[in-house]
Order: sequence, then structure tokens, then C-alpha cells
Amino acid sequence: MVEFVLEVEELHTYIGQHHILQGVTLRARRDAVTVLLGRNGAGKTTTMRSIIGLLHPARGAIRFEGAPIDRLAPYEIARLGVGFVPEGQGIFATLTVDENLRVAMHREDAPSRERLRRMLVLFPDLERFRHARAGTLSGGQKQMLAIARAFVNPQRLLLIDEPSKGLAPIVVEHLIGALRAVKHETTVVLVEQNFAMAEALADDFYLVDDGRTVHEGPMAALAGDAALKKKYLGI
Amino acid sequence: MKRAAPVLIVLALALLPLLGMEPRVYLTLTVAGLAMGMLIFLVASGLTLIFGLMDVLNFAHGALFSWGAYAGFGAVLLLDRRAGWIESPSVALNALALLAAVAAAALVALVLGVALERVIVRPVYGQHMFQILITLGASIVLEELIRIVWGPNDQVMPVPISFQGSWDLLDVIVLRVPVVAIGLGLAVYVGLQLLLHRTRVGLIVRAGVESGEMVQVMGHNIYRYFTAVFALGSALAAVGGLMWAIFRQSVSPGMGGEQLIFAFIVVIIGGLGSVTGSLIGALMVGLSYNYVAFLLPKAALGVNMALMVLVLLVRPTGLFGASR
Amino acid sequence: MTTPIASARRDERARRWRRPTLWLRLGVLALFVLVPVAVPSFQATDLAIKIALFGALVASYDVVIGYTGIVSFGHAMFFGFGAYSVALAVGRFGAPTYGHLLLGFGIAVLLSALVATLIGAFSLRVKLIFFAMITLAFAEFAGILAVQWSALSGGEDGLSPKMPGLFAVGWEGGRVLGVPLTGKLVTYYVVLAACAALFLVMARFVASPLGRALQAIRDNELRAEALGVPTFTLQIVSSSFASVVATIVGGCYVMWVRYVNPESALGVPLMLDVLLMVIIGGIGTLWGSVIGAAVLLTARLLLPDLRGLGTLLGGSEIAQRLTERWLLVFGVLFVLVVFFFPKGVLGTTRDALARRRRPA
Repeated sequence: MVEFVLEVEELHTYIGQHHILQGVTLRARRDAVTVLLGRNGAGKTTTMRSIIGLLHPARGAIRFEGAPIDRLAPYEIARLGVGFVPEGQGIFATLTVDENLRVAMHREDAPSRERLRRMLVLFPDLERFRHARAGTLSGGQKQMLAIARAFVNPQRLLLIDEPSKGLAPIVVEHLIGALRAVKHETTVVLVEQNFAMAEALADDFYLVDDGRTVHEGPMAALAGDAALKKKYLGI
Repeated sequence: MKRAAPVLIVLALALLPLLGMEPRVYLTLTVAGLAMGMLIFLVASGLTLIFGLMDVLNFAHGALFSWGAYAGFGAVLLLDRRAGWIESPSVALNALALLAAVAAAALVALVLGVALERVIVRPVYGQHMFQILITLGASIVLEELIRIVWGPNDQVMPVPISFQGSWDLLDVIVLRVPVVAIGLGLAVYVGLQLLLHRTRVGLIVRAGVESGEMVQVMGHNIYRYFTAVFALGSALAAVGGLMWAIFRQSVSPGMGGEQLIFAFIVVIIGGLGSVTGSLIGALMVGLSYNYVAFLLPKAALGVNMALMVLVLLVRPTGLFGASR
Repeated sequence: MTTPIASARRDERARRWRRPTLWLRLGVLALFVLVPVAVPSFQATDLAIKIALFGALVASYDVVIGYTGIVSFGHAMFFGFGAYSVALAVGRFGAPTYGHLLLGFGIAVLLSALVATLIGAFSLRVKLIFFAMITLAFAEFAGILAVQWSALSGGEDGLSPKMPGLFAVGWEGGRVLGVPLTGKLVTYYVVLAACAALFLVMARFVASPLGRALQAIRDNELRAEALGVPTFTLQIVSSSFASVVATIVGGCYVMWVRYVNPESALGVPLMLDVLLMVIIGGIGTLWGSVIGAAVLLTARLLLPDLRGLGTLLGGSEIAQRLTERWLLVFGVLFVLVVFFFPKGVLGTTRDALARRRRPA
């Protein structure tokens, strides 16, 4: 068993002519939560999209459980057991909550339905609005749905991009609680601007600036380093 | 309430012409209009799904309409000459002949559709301009092939005897073919709705219409669904073409191109990716065309253009379209 | 003290006179000027002026499709507006005069600008695909209108107007430098001058700040918007401009051909021709339009010889029909060119030259 579920090495990605990622490196430890921090436009979302295959890197390597995945299509990467919760949740607004969850299943079989049931227990709001159109949910509920969708399959790696974005503080609290309840089941790579949330959930951190990894280490170390926080996060 | 509005508008529009003509004429025109609408719906439904899911402007759709008509034409000629199923007074044989023609049209279109998608369309995904150009080129080639194999002139389409003529209901003459067309259209609509809302494939297609990217991220090979939807849309267009040939009792190589414009208007009115939208839109177009054609023949096409413009002004994404 | 941009511009202007492309273009222009006097065949003259006309028309289409990045199927319609307007103005009000001619052009230009702006205003808000479909609908509608409103347009048979004064067929004006001056000759040079002028205007347009902004929109609309470019307005301005140019070309076309009917001036066949020409020449290369026009028109001229080839192939009915249906060949050509030469003759050439200059 490889120590790192996900390894990203010296990743360079272009969007059109723009050299967005200029050498991103990160490693996600098994069953831990790794957070990607950085200012707006640093390249965090681009990194996530490169990992899940929506963008093809120009240079560098991405390895999942030791095997390279940088040339695979997104659906192939998903089938390997990588879940992706994008910025803005990516909910299918015209489908019902139930349908959203069913689409997420790789296969509609008994184990998946069992996991679906568990999700509904964990997120009671989703049970309540099970047959309502997903577009009518509140921001917080949509985020719960997005996360529940990710867990409907047995995931070995979960990529979550800015889950707290646009949510009220009390909803963020609820979200942290929900994520804490499921984090032990899988390895998580999290992108988060909300430092309090990152601090509450993450074990390791990687700091990205101008498309490059500039710092890394255990989360505890960052929490105490005011100079580093000020320089790269402005807080 | 928002969704009921278009339906109410259609009903209102449908009843309006009663003010200008006697009920018997109105009924005949209404049946003709509904039938025409249903046939356009067949073509438009495929087109709207292809647009909605794949973001592909398929100019070859009209050519598939023509090929469907000619494939059915060929089947019918064969059955007529070899087995006399068309001339036979037996309703069963006539129905069988019709079914055979439909099957021929659908089969030819499925094969052609898959070939087109793989060879012509797939290489240019995402590049709208080239999609438009290349499907246009393909449609020219396909139409010319018809002219080469079948000749460039219009030909008469034999219609099975039991479907010719009309029924006499309460002193009103109701033509048979339009009724068959309406029935077929409704069956297709119900079938499509069941497919989209009650099957897993339909679920994924509906999700894909909203976001192809997210569907991929969920582990589904969206390209396979693209091929399937393209093939289905092609088959629908082909059956539409066949029914149109029966309706008009003739086939001509350019028939696809002529009808494609109606299908486009309907897709714009109904909204990209919405089957219900294309049904309502098609009925609106069919009815208004027939009513206006009776009252002011030259303004018929103009009315549909005006409808399209009106919808664009009020709701640019179409009556049932998702705002993207 | 000059800014870097100003000095760069100065250098570019100085270099302009030494660039080979300029001399190439002047050479081509000289060719056009010399054809009617140097080559005795009328066919050659006719071909030359048609290349000039269609070159200008296709270039205006390139402005829309190649520089602004919008696919429109209505372009032929604007050409038709110009053609019909001039034909009507000159033919329907008694004996033709220069005033009628100018009136025809004027009305057409105004009409086209109006229609293009309107169509753009309510269709450009939606996706590109929608816009393409809508322009197609309008173009077909215009075609049907032309056929049905026969009282005005002469229906399917069209109109055959006579041109006024210097442009009339029968006019003769003695000899200049040993060359007999005829109405045809005068028309040739005036139309050629008009096409050349339009070409220059278009070249200026795409090189101007407005033109560059349009290219930015074409390359990445969201980014251009984020940079503060008023994309919507510019797209409308650009397509209206291109439509007006097409209209003027249409009027000139009637001056030379003196015949207009729905199929040759408005219809889908014309639009298809324009599309093929712009692809062959190269989308986004203004001068490629002339190449595309030259290739297609010359090929079509030599087509009767192609039919002869059909009988050589054994005279079987299918082979016969194959060569008769040149449209099939056209279609296949179309698809192949889009597949393998998406940048057209000029675009591919430019890429090849660039690669040779920069050994990357």
C-alpha cells in the first residue's frame, strides 16, 4: 500500500495560452485531510480540475495509488474511486435530489443504495426534500447534496473545492460537522479560503501562490505561523 | 403556473381562428395542423436533444429526414411489387406494410447516425463553427447521393389503401393519414418521456443536458451517450420524413432541407434540450401555419418567423429552455 | 519622447514598403487591371471581375466569421438586398439614370444596416448556434419572399435591368491608347475599383483598434468582457459593417451581370459557394477570400470538361450521374477541406512560413 494516495509532481497546466500552473506539487496522505491554501487566482481550482482530468497538464505527473492518471479521461478517473465536488457544487438543478444522488452512482446496485440511505440519515434535510427539484434548495442544502453525492460511491479520494463559498457562518459550522463525520472514511484533498474551516478539518497543508507550491507541512505548524499566513493568505 | 402558460397560449391560439371560419373547416384545418405539428415534432425532438446534450448544430438532420423517407419508400415499393401489401384491402397487411416502412427508415437512420457521429461530428466537438460547416457538407453529400440513386425528380409515394381517404364522423370529413400521424406523434412523445424520466439512460442524458462535464466527473462515459442520442435523433428524423412522405404522398430529394427550417424554428421556440418544448412549439407552428395558410396563403411562413421572433424577444432561451 | 508603441508603429510602417506581400498584392491588382485589354477572351474578363466581386463578398463574410467569430447564414441575403435594390431602382422607374443607380445603392445600404442591426440585436444575446439557425431562417424567408412577391421581384425569373449612361451595354466612347471604350469596359473598371476600395476599407477595419477588439472577442469572449470590451455592441457593429459591404458588392454585381434572380443572388446555393470559398481561402485571412474565389470560380468554369471525363469512365449510368452531380463533388470537397485544411490555403501557408522562420 502506497503511503500517498495522491501524488502531484511539478504540474504545469495551460488554459489557452495562459500558463496557470507553473510547478504545483502536493501529496495526500492516506486517510488524512490535506488542504490547498492560497489567494484568489493562485491556481487551486485549476489544480483540482487537472487532477480529475477536466484539464490536461502540459508537464508533470499525477499519480493515484501509485499509478499515473494524467492521461485518463475524467470518467475513467472517477471510476477508479476519485470523487469531485466542484466549486459551485455542480448540482443538476432540474433533477430532483433523489435523481441527483442516483446519477452520481456508478451503478445502481444494492451497496450504492445502502450508502444512499446512510447519506439521507446523515443529512436529514435531503431526506425531507428528496423529491424536490435540486435547484430549489438553499445554498447550504445544495452543498450537503454535493457532498452526499460524492459519498454515494466508495471513494478512495475525495476532492472538494471551496465548500464554504457563499454560505452563511452557521451553515459553515454545520458543514464542518458533517465533513468531520465522514472524513475518516476516505482521503480528502480540500481547497478552502475559509481559514477557520481549514484549520478545523485539515491535517496537512500546501500553500500555492502564482501557480506554484511555496510551502507545505502539518496544519498545526501553519496555525501558529502568523508571518506565513500574512504573506500568502493576507490574514 | 409558469409552465402552464405556454400550453394556455397554444390553446388560445388554437381556438382563435374559429372566429374567422365555419366549424367544419376549422376542424379539418385543426387536424391537418396537429398532424403537421406532430411530424415536425418528430424531427425537432431529435434535434433538440442533440443540441441540448451535445451542443451540436446538426445540419445533416434534414438529410436523415430525406433518407428515412426514401428508405421507407424503397420498402413500400418492394412490398407493393412483390407482395401487394399496399393494394390489399386487409387492414392488417396495410398496417404491417407501414410498420415495415417505419422500421426500414429507423434502421437506416440509426446506422447512418452512428456513422455520422463517429466519423464526421466527433472530431470537431467543441468547435461550433466547424461542426456547422462539416454537417452542412455531409448533408449536401447525402442529398446528392439520393439524387444519384433515385433520380432528381419528385416521385409518388404509395400509401396503403386503408390509410387513404377519410372517415366520416358526424358529417365532418376527417382524413385518415393525419390521424395516424397524430397518433404516432403522441406515441413517440410518451415513449420519449418514459425513456427520459423512467430509465437510467434517460436520467444521465437529462443530467448531461445540464452539464456534460459533471456527468463525466460522476463516472459516465458521456461520449457513448452522445452516440446513442445522435442515433436516436436521427431515427426520429427519419420516421418523421417517412410520415411526411405519406402525408404529402410524394418524395423529393430536397424535402429534408425544406422541413429543417421548421424544425429549427420549433427548437428555438421550444427551448434547447426540452422534448415537451419541441412538442408545444411544433404544435404551435403546425396549427398557425395551417390556419394562416387558409386565411392568407402568402403569410403562412411569415407567421412562423414572427412567432420565433416573438419568443426570442420574450424568452431568448425558448419557452421551456433552461437559462444557461 | 516617443512611447514604445509609437516607435514600434513607426518601424512597422517603414518596413511595410519592403514586405513581399505588398508587392504581391499590387501585382495581383495589376493583373486584374490588364486582363480586359490584354486578353481577348470575354470569358477571361468575366471570370476576372467575378473573382474580384466574390473576393470582396467572401472577404466581408470573413469579417463576420473569421474576425468576429460569428457564424451567420444570412450573408447572401444582404448581397441579394444590394442586387435587387439596384436592379429595381434602375429598372422600375422609367429610363435608367445615375441618380437611380445611386438611389438603389443608398436604399440597399440603409436597409441592410437596419436589418443587420435588428437581427444582431435580438439574436446575438443567445448562443452562437442559435444565431446561426436564426440567420438561416431569415435567409430562407427572404428567398421565399423574393419568389412569392413576384410583382416586385419578378419571381423566379428575376429582373434584367439596363444600366444607365456610361455603364450601358451599347455605349461607345471612341478609343483610348488604342483600346475601344465600351460600356462593358467602363463597368469593369468601375466595379474593380469599387471592389478594391471595399477591400482596403475592410483591411483597415480589421487592423484598427476596433478590429483588434473583435479578435479578442473571437478568441475568448468572457475574457474580453472582463477586460471591459463592449462585446455585444461591437459584434453588432461588425456584422452590420460586413453586411453593408456585402450589399454594395451585390449592387456592383448587378451592374456587371445585369440580371438578378432569387437563386443566384439570395439563395442557399450562393451561401454555400461563399462558405466553400472562405474555407478554401482560409477563415480569418482577409486576402484568402480572393484565392478561394479564384479557385472555385475557375474550377467551375472548367467543369464541362469534367463531364467529358464521365463518358471516358465507361459511360455507365452511375458514373454519368456522378459527374453530372457536381454538387456531390462539391460536398465531399467541402468536408475534406474542413477536415484537413481548416485554415484554408492562405492560413496553412502562413503557418508553414511561420514555422520555417522560427525553428521551434
